[in-house]
Amino acid sequence: MLPFTYAVRNLSRDRSRLVQSILGSALVVLLVMGAHAMNAGMTRSLQSTASPRNVLLLGAGSEESMQRSEVSEQAAGIAETSLAGVESVLGQRAVSPEIVHMATLLTGEGQELRGLVRGVTSKAMLVHPEMVIQEGHFPGPGELLVGRLAWRRLDVSPETLAVGEVLTFDGVDLRVSGVLAAPGTVMESEIWMPLQDLRTFAQRDTVSSVAIRLREDAEVADVQLFTRQRLDLELSAVSETEYYAKLARFYAPIRTMTWTTAILIAAAAVFGGLNTLYAAFASRVRETATLQAIGFSRFVILISLLQESLLISMAGTLLGAVIARLLLANRVLPFGAGAIELDLEPSTLVVGLIAGMLLGFIGTLPPAFRCLYPPLPQTLRD
Amino acid sequence: MKAEKNFPLVRCAGVAKRYRKGSLWVTPLESLDLEVPRGEFLALMGPSGSGKTTLLNLVSGIDSPSEGRIDIGDIAVHELSRRKLAAWRARHVGYIFQLYHLIPVLSAYENVELPLLPDGQSKRDRRERVEAALSLVGLADRMHHFPRELSGGQEQRVAIARALVADPELLVADEPTGDLDRESADSVLALLRNLAEEQQKTIIMVTHDPKAAAAADRLLHLEKGRLLEDQHVK
Ligand SMILES: Nc1ncnc2c1ncn2[C@@H]1O[C@H](COP(=O)(O)OP(=O)(O)OP(=O)(O)O)[C@@H](O)[C@H]1O
Ligand SMILES: [Mg+2]
Repeated sequence: MLPFTYAVRNLSRDRSRLVQSILGSALVVLLVMGAHAMNAGMTRSLQSTASPRNVLLLGAGSEESMQRSEVSEQAAGIAETSLAGVESVLGQRAVSPEIVHMATLLTGEGQELRGLVRGVTSKAMLVHPEMVIQEGHFPGPGELLVGRLAWRRLDVSPETLAVGEVLTFDGVDLRVSGVLAAPGTVMESEIWMPLQDLRTFAQRDTVSSVAIRLREDAEVADVQLFTRQRLDLELSAVSETEYYAKLARFYAPIRTMTWTTAILIAAAAVFGGLNTLYAAFASRVRETATLQAIGFSRFVILISLLQESLLISMAGTLLGAVIARLLLANRVLPFGAGAIELDLEPSTLVVGLIAGMLLGFIGTLPPAFRCLYPPLPQTLRD
Repeated sequence: MKAEKNFPLVRCAGVAKRYRKGSLWVTPLESLDLEVPRGEFLALMGPSGSGKTTLLNLVSGIDSPSEGRIDIGDIAVHELSRRKLAAWRARHVGYIFQLYHLIPVLSAYENVELPLLPDGQSKRDRRERVEAALSLVGLADRMHHFPRELSGGQEQRVAIARALVADPELLVADEPTGDLDRESADSVLALLRNLAEEQQKTIIMVTHDPKAAAAADRLLHLEKGRLLEDQHVK
């Protein structure tokens, strides 16, 4: 083996190359970690929104989109009163009729906010027990409940949506009465208002969906059986898990795009890095030839070159991870109907580490090959 | 089989080397026969392109012949694979280059230590040998200097120490004084002379300098890939 100090001292041969390569690998690692954190956040938010015990009743034929779905007053009423297997909390059945409506609200400064508003009754809290009112109280008539991260999705300052602030909807002033928290779910970026109010604003006598929390022993199939027996109600039952899984599939192109972008930029960085490595190794062709002449095998020299590159790429990985931590941790990004909170999970760190290692390995092989492969008499002359 | 004392160390028989250059064939060496006895200091001269470096490369196992056989001691070098050749070189041949080829990021000590590393000797054994080799070339006091801190002549002496340290029976040198001033060249030549005489090293040295050639026991001329004369200088 060649001494490790040889690999280490080789680093200092060209300071600008060293800095350039470390920054390059840091960039690649940062991009890969960013893409991974985004996708992990997306998946997490959709997954944690869905509870395996919840079922959504949607209008038959609108299973894909809550916004297009219509459930008649009568159907909602029958589900509320007579559906079997429903969880009950303190004598109240966990059945929540809801309206989702794309609305435009005006802030105090006259700024237009366009987003999904959900009309709910107090029973919504029974269906989603993980939700808590973090501040203030559940909205009464003329009031709004805002998700903890709604400001981010609507692209306003957090103060705009603070408790006590007033937003205008179709000329009517609505006061923010509370802040909703449900960590990791898409509901955190929604705005809620009483069902009756939204029914009036949206001028509809149907609801969009009925969310139901089932007892532990009940099954989605029971509800599906009910919708098939009562075809006249024109209902369709979808488990929440399934609904959000479909939604996640809908976002697959975004996912692909994030990765494609990250990989393209990373590839550009890798090619840049390859070039500097080519140049660096090319200037050492005769030296590696000398080492071979002395009796070191090409494999041993390759190991030393790999050590050198891995030192660089690992320094880059460390830097990339630190930047990722500063840049990404606890950052909230708007996406689709919600917002995702980025978090540096261990899996993201592992992915970054693997990317850094691969970079060191794969980036070294072609330049090393060009340096070590040609016949020795030829490289000794160079 | 142990080679006899007066059996030539280097034996080349019918050696030819051909290279393809595009559609042409270049033949730097043709049906060459050469024997070099143990302890002989042989000088090779010849015009540029006559195949001197090619011959050194063949004898030192850096290149393989297209035809013929090359035996060094009791090893048939032309039969060894590339990997086996590398291991064989580390133990049996020291190569000295015109431009020294020291590793710039390693100190004189570390450069000289290199040929001992593949062997897996203890650090203490290596230290003894490296210090002995550096003393022999008169540079014990420059051990921790880096190549850029040495003069050309000193660099070449470090390179000779590196070639010597594994105690090979054969040293090959390709214009070792080609880049040195007269004084440094003389000290390098005296050193080689001394190695042949006192340590029974077999040395093959390529040179363009008649004065360098005069330091050798025997002088051969290479012309267009063939050995022309066989002059005994001494
Ligand atoms: N790897 C190779 N591929 C093709 N041709 C080669 C190769 N190595 C050597 N030659 C050719 O073989 C011939 C002899 O080369 P060699 O280097 O042995 O000459 P030399 O006597 O050492 O010359 P110089 O005094 O200039 O060092 C030259 O014509 C050279 O171009
Ligand atoms: Mg030559």
